[in-house]
Amino acid sequence: MKRTVLAMACLLLQAPISRSAEPLSPIENYRRLEFPPNDENFERGWKDRVAADYDVINSADLTSLRAALKDGDPFVRAIAAYALGVRKDTTSADALAELVKNDKEYVVRIRAVEALALLKMKAEVIESALEDRDPGVPFVAKLVAGQIKSETDYAAQIRQAYAEGIDREAMGSAVVGKPAPDFTALTLDGETFQLSSVIGKKPIAIYFTAFDG
Amino acid sequence: MHQQAQLRLKKDDVEKLGAETYVVLALDTHRTRVFKEENWLLGGGKGPFGKEKSLVFATPLSDPAGRASAIYGVSRRALRWGSWVENYPHWFVIDRKGVITYVLKPTFTTPTAYQDDVDNVLKALEKAAR
Repeated sequence: MKRTVLAMACLLLQAPISRSAEPLSPIENYRRLEFPPNDENFERGWKDRVAADYDVINSADLTSLRAALKDGDPFVRAIAAYALGVRKDTTSADALAELVKNDKEYVVRIRAVEALALLKMKAEVIESALEDRDPGVPFVAKLVAGQIKSETDYAAQIRQAYAEGIDREAMGSAVVGKPAPDFTALTLDGETFQLSSVIGKKPIAIYFTAFDG
Repeated sequence: MHQQAQLRLKKDDVEKLGAETYVVLALDTHRTRVFKEENWLLGGGKGPFGKEKSLVFATPLSDPAGRASAIYGVSRRALRWGSWVENYPHWFVIDRKGVITYVLKPTFTTPTAYQDDVDNVLKALEKAAR
């Protein structure tokens, strides 16, 4: 009897521990980033942000992504909007359009504009974003407007790139004095470029940049 | 874009060295094409590049999921200065043996810092060509 009581007590004690050990959902993991993607954290926590971003794009279920469009955290709304565009969730088009028109945070409006362009839907909403009060939104709206008219499925292109995954150990492995890490990228024709195919033939300079860098 | 414009001005130097130059954006091919072919950022102004259609001399590469950018340690995926930024600009120079010989993180601290940046990259390319 004593053994039975003891065993039950142990089970009760273990139950909360096993629940807390369950992995967080991709969205919850993104929400709990130690260094969220705000200006102050620009130099900190980027590897976690990259890993969390991959996790959301590749693994978050569509139901939780749709729900996250109404999240209280603007960064969660933003990543959910972008992920739904990449995942080609056309049923979210109305909700994304609503974000473009009414979300108070410009980062959410930017990501929702990008998502609609990837869905190739709501061209009129993207056009209306050209009049947005924050200059970043019209800039992105102008940039992605051509995607709607294009026959290329850019969402599929991005999905395919994310599907390759990212090895955390490989992040930030390019250092002076060491062999250049190999990578693949796409040429403007959509062909695969592999760095190792050109290494050894000529000296090479690579400039990694942002659009305005 | 200033860095790319400056590099284009030094096109002959790059070609003399027999070097290859690439510019990688953590964006899909559509946006990379706009970056390459349309001078949105310096166009229309009174500067030396105001009337130029394209300023990019390097071969543009699209890194749609930012994987290469993360491997090279430049990915940030964050807000900065009021906009969403995927990459923090960096130059890397690789010699004929495939070894990284030079890394430069532009500071953008002065209006013409890019001139020194590109000159330094060319010097590094010169050494890498030996």
